[in-house]
Amino acid sequence: MPKHVPPVDEIGATSAPLKSASFFIGAKCKEFNEDFMLCKSQNKPEQCLLEGRRVTRCAADLLEKMRAACAQEFEAHWKCLDNNNQEFYPCRKEERPLNACMFTKLGLSKTIPGTPKGQLPIHEVKNPIYKAQQK
Amino acid sequence: MPVPWEALIPFALLTTMFGVGGTLFKTTRTINNDGKTPRYNIDNWEQMMMNRDKRLTGSIRGQSSNPKAPPEFATNSIQSVKKLLV
Repeated sequence: MPKHVPPVDEIGATSAPLKSASFFIGAKCKEFNEDFMLCKSQNKPEQCLLEGRRVTRCAADLLEKMRAACAQEFEAHWKCLDNNNQEFYPCRKEERPLNACMFTKLGLSKTIPGTPKGQLPIHEVKNPIYKAQQK
Repeated sequence: MPVPWEALIPFALLTTMFGVGGTLFKTTRTINNDGKTPRYNIDNWEQMMMNRDKRLTGSIRGQSSNPKAPPEFATNSIQSVKKLLV
């Protein structure tokens, strides 16, 4: 890394925990992520190392807080995702306690951008059509 | 009147063979996927994430939720000079 960018540890979370935490990372780190994407779209990649460092640090910070506050729900959700091809629809039963815990303890809630107005987001629908086979 | 049990041997054979074959197949797939259900419809993003998981944990289905990567992660990436077939 160049001198003006202090070294930062990469995120050690693998695909399932990252997917489980994805909407919360989006809620918490929105400005840093958008900053980085704007920088990458306008400049050369080597000029965006500082913004990328901020993205990494924000996501790692959120993962630490998630593990400290909601460890059981988080682990249950990503283990369920791992067994289901990492798709969200079979794992709503584990997702609801995780969303509730994240909202009460960390103040973060999952929003799906692009949901049409007046339509309930799919993760809040009580009886969806596409769901896990067993209750 | 004796029951013609010899006539049922082929059915028993078929059932056993299907059962054994199917069980072995499922066992092999489960072992290959570290005891989890197999992944399907893997696109390039998922392939990239699975390779990253392999760098982090040693297996493409291994998972961990550490915020910080292990120190070997910084240097164990593979950049290929020529396009790899796999």
